[in-house]
Amino acid sequence: MALFTRTVRAPLEYSKSLWMRGWVTMVMLFLYIPLFVLMAFSFNDSKRNVVWRGFTTKYYGVAWENDQLWNAMMNSLTIAFFATIFSLVIGSMAAVMLWRFRFPLKSAVDGTMSLPIIVPEICLGVAFLVFFSTVGWPTGLGWPFNLGAIIIAHVTFCFPFVTMVVRARLATFNREQEEAAKDLGAGEWQAFRDVLIPHIKPALVSGALLAFTLSLDDFVITFFTSTPGTDTFPVLVYSLVKRGVTPDVNAASTILILFTVLLTAIALKLQGAKALASTHS
Amino acid sequence: MDIKTLLDNAANRRSLLKGMGVAAVGLTFTGALAGCGEKAGKKLANGEEGALNLYNWDDYMGETTLEDFKGASGVDVKMDLFENNDTLFAKFRAGNPGYDLIVPSNDFVERMVQANMLEKLDKAQIPNWKNVAPEFQDVPYDKGREYSAPYTWLALGIGYRKSKVNPAPDSWKVLLDSDQYKGRIAVLSEAGDMFRLYAKYMGKSVNAITPADIKTIEAMMIKQKPNIAKFHDDDGQDLLAKGEVDLVLEYNGDIAQLAAEDDDVAFVIPKEGSQLNSDNLCIPKGAKHPKNAHAFINFILDAENGKKLTETIKYPTPNAAAKALMPDSYKTNPITYPPADLLAKCEYAKFNAELQPLFEEAFTRVKAA
Amino acid sequence: MAEQDWKQQKRPFAAVATVPLFWTLIFFLIPMGFVWFYSFGRNVGLTEIDIVGTLDNYKRATEWLYLGIFLKSLAVAALVTLICLIVGFPVAMAITFASEKWRPWLLLGIMLPFWTNLLIRTYALMIVMGQQGYANSGLGALWNGASWLKTLVGLQPLSTWEPLPLLYNNFAVVVGLVYVHLPFMVLPLYSALDRLDKSLIEASLDLGAGHLKTLFKVVVPLAAPGIIAGVMITLIPALGAYLTPDLMGGTDSQMIANVIERQFKRANDWPFGAALSFLLIYVMFALIAMQGLRKKTGEVR
Repeated sequence: MALFTRTVRAPLEYSKSLWMRGWVTMVMLFLYIPLFVLMAFSFNDSKRNVVWRGFTTKYYGVAWENDQLWNAMMNSLTIAFFATIFSLVIGSMAAVMLWRFRFPLKSAVDGTMSLPIIVPEICLGVAFLVFFSTVGWPTGLGWPFNLGAIIIAHVTFCFPFVTMVVRARLATFNREQEEAAKDLGAGEWQAFRDVLIPHIKPALVSGALLAFTLSLDDFVITFFTSTPGTDTFPVLVYSLVKRGVTPDVNAASTILILFTVLLTAIALKLQGAKALASTHS
Repeated sequence: MDIKTLLDNAANRRSLLKGMGVAAVGLTFTGALAGCGEKAGKKLANGEEGALNLYNWDDYMGETTLEDFKGASGVDVKMDLFENNDTLFAKFRAGNPGYDLIVPSNDFVERMVQANMLEKLDKAQIPNWKNVAPEFQDVPYDKGREYSAPYTWLALGIGYRKSKVNPAPDSWKVLLDSDQYKGRIAVLSEAGDMFRLYAKYMGKSVNAITPADIKTIEAMMIKQKPNIAKFHDDDGQDLLAKGEVDLVLEYNGDIAQLAAEDDDVAFVIPKEGSQLNSDNLCIPKGAKHPKNAHAFINFILDAENGKKLTETIKYPTPNAAAKALMPDSYKTNPITYPPADLLAKCEYAKFNAELQPLFEEAFTRVKAA
Repeated sequence: MAEQDWKQQKRPFAAVATVPLFWTLIFFLIPMGFVWFYSFGRNVGLTEIDIVGTLDNYKRATEWLYLGIFLKSLAVAALVTLICLIVGFPVAMAITFASEKWRPWLLLGIMLPFWTNLLIRTYALMIVMGQQGYANSGLGALWNGASWLKTLVGLQPLSTWEPLPLLYNNFAVVVGLVYVHLPFMVLPLYSALDRLDKSLIEASLDLGAGHLKTLFKVVVPLAAPGIIAGVMITLIPALGAYLTPDLMGGTDSQMIANVIERQFKRANDWPFGAALSFLLIYVMFALIAMQGLRKKTGEVR
């Protein structure tokens, strides 16, 4: 296998050393074996995910017929969609505000806005439970309005991440470009739209991806803010993990994993792996 | 001015929070949302739209029950699941999040009545009430059955894998006070249930526990902890099925469901006696579809529908008419209906507001030990 | 770049500031404020909380029992972070120095799990680590192989293989947390290493320092900001972890988030849960302040 053949290496080619390759291989196996086993078990002809009993695709049919699963998926995707859009708008506004202006209590505002990142999910979840019930948030609304409370909660913890990513990108913006545009007669809004937005576009893409994943991933906060009929996919999987998962959930998970692969591939295509990775630091 | 004086000065402290919240709402688009979100669904003959929000335990509904009910009444039932009474209580504590029908256990019926969370039932809307077995017509935890309709009853016991556990256990000792099956045991993570069962093991009533007993039991639990693999959230049957453990503390119906698929599984109520529970259909305050909820209760108490439900969930049923229709294999199933001499030693637990926090803190200490 | 004073640019400032500020106030500060007020409250009956300004909840939260749980959570989070660092650093190095052809694939390999649903990943790990899962059957096969080898050379065979209890204990919690958080560690490490001036490493090697010496004397100090970022980004969520100990833990694996959750559900003691929540938040503040302090001293140097 080419991966393990030892070639003459230059001093910096650490990746060619055998132990380094072995290490990376082990880490990748550690990360991926469970996922592959999970996907494999979606083809297992047994109700309990313990022993391999033969190949079948019937659980994809079962998953397709499972209304609970469909509802949960639809809820998750709808929430993630709206939460992403709101987070993008609010997060970029906050980033521009913190980047461009000097105002009283700025460091306090800055700190407060990044607080949702560090406040433990459980505290935020409880806070929303108390908040929505105290203000008498309307319940029993039709879909998708019944998801409103969850979307609000998700925006609260997603938009600071967008702010973080967009701010990092704004730091590389050359203000002279904006000045030039204004000198050429562009108004404040026009300069914003035609100069600033294109510059931060890569950050918007990775911010959107980040917000989307975070929203799709969230269990604790959703769990506390859910009302009748708003269970999301993680909430459903949680209750199933607690009491025996059927293979149709593996099937749905497999589809979600493939969907993730697709999303990541699109993101890579749009902006390259390095840029995407740097948004996480 | 420190926090305390600030707060003391506020005439009504709860209204302070409320005021903050209402101010917040005024600033948002709640009103707009509420206005356009309300669906003007089709009305049924009883004047309600055809919807019912049910909050139920998992594995606790007949395979076709919800469809049958829709066929019979036109009501579309949305069912969400909770995993324990405390989750249910926590969800309702801050106000009804929108459910019409819930399934609390006996002690939580008591607790929710005390907390003013339940609506009184209108028996006139439940003609099938006559099908309820005599011993469930009136119960100590809900005098006169004002708030609750019986759904099932259940008994805690030991579920075990016959090929791994020999001889068959007949005492709580194997679970609670022995290293014979070290690492092969799972017990409930419900603090109250655990303390009450230890009381049973020590020969006391589940309702006669004193703070001194809690100390004793705590020490016993800490001693037993190394032998226990997991405190489970009522998913013991899955742990048993997957082979993670060989003995579990579980409810009879859960084990009966598993035993129907797996011959190697058995269930016993120990000779010291055990704790009984009864789950109930209740209508929470603020339910938007109380008439549909009554109709659903009536539907469940019907003989034929009750039978279909029981066929799936395999729990003992308080619906006498439904039980009469069940085959002998169910009526004589020793897991579902344990022997009468053992049942005679079992008790229902009363809700005890003073002891509950003591149970919880002691259990936290056990886990941290 | 010079920041503008908001007074000179009132309209643009209002355009970008209004929504984020109001959102933060209404949907973050006020809800958190409720919890904060509750932490000074007292239970009255089953559902009422009277905010009396008592400090009893904090007194109880700082009792040895709960402090112990805090310390344990910190220890677990620190251990997880350390393992992630040890495991992740070589991976980040490998990605940095990989060929152009391989790098995007390695990065993708690390990122994909990050994008995959947390519950799906945890559940997947639970399948593998179960009593009858593949980790156990793999070890069992190894054991039997070793046993067979021993009989070949005429020794006593090993005793029969007993499946290891991999799941439902502290070991499982640590493995689960490492599994979940490893990508969080690798990505910031990579972006720090990637920015590093490679000629410095070459110089160090040319001047006769060994690879290990170069690593610890040159690479690590230069990559320090990335290492700190990676440590924080792993430590903080690991400290507040709820799902992993809940699903994969055993009888003594409760972490502080589980205890908090219990107060809000099982124990029905919201004021106490609120106090524990805020203590946890303060601990996180302290951690972040420590990081800030390090940064400052670093700048001074």
